[in-house]
Amino acid sequence: MTKMIKYNWFFEQSPEMVWKYLTTSELMAQWLMNNDFELAPGREFMFKSNPQPSMDFDGNVYCRILDIDPLKKLVYSWKIMQGQGKLMLDSIVTWFLIPKKGGTELILEHTGLDEWKNEMLLQAMNKGWDQNVRLKMGNLFNTK
Amino acid sequence: MKQQAIDPFQAVGDPNRRQMLKLLSKESLTINALAENFDMTRPAVSKHIKILYSAGFISIEDIGRERHCILKQSGFKQIQQWIDYFDQFWAVKLKKLEDILNEKAKNIK
Repeated sequence: MTKMIKYNWFFEQSPEMVWKYLTTSELMAQWLMNNDFELAPGREFMFKSNPQPSMDFDGNVYCRILDIDPLKKLVYSWKIMQGQGKLMLDSIVTWFLIPKKGGTELILEHTGLDEWKNEMLLQAMNKGWDQNVRLKMGNLFNTK
Repeated sequence: MKQQAIDPFQAVGDPNRRQMLKLLSKESLTINALAENFDMTRPAVSKHIKILYSAGFISIEDIGRERHCILKQSGFKQIQQWIDYFDQFWAVKLKKLEDILNEKAKNIK
């Protein structure tokens, strides 16, 4: 399975400490976003961040806990609504904690974005299309 | 042809529609020419085209007597915008978590 966004991050702290910051509402607010998180299976919660008007994003992220494996894994859905309650982004955030010598490896996977990872789409997007797509098409795809 | 806007992520979630975009990325095609590439009924092809159109991936132009499907940028841009946004978002947040945890450790010592 392809992953759209993935980060591996090393922390010098124990998995217990990192887990605490991933699963305690007040501590999450310190580094992530304001929230009403509560660690319980199936629990729905919400993150609130600053609106991004250019993306028609009100800053709210709607989540539901999908899986909890204490000190090892945490999974929640990550949904964004746009306009009048239209579902804009339906994705999943997964955290893995792996004990390492001298700390913890934290892996973040933001998926559900999978389907969009299509070589053609990305290539095309990265080229920075302008409005005259038709004229440029030939050049873009002949380089393949 | 006014359609309710469709989520671009949903639009490219379907392999047939991705294939259509791929074909259209090489050249603009009439609806008939596009349909020839797929083993499905004409109404089914039309439905996919409508979805791609509503999500902003293609425009439809009448040239002569034919309707042409032409790739458009807005659908692609929206997807890339969200991916870029969250990619950066997580990098910033993880760095912040690291700083907070390290700061905390220092204060304990």
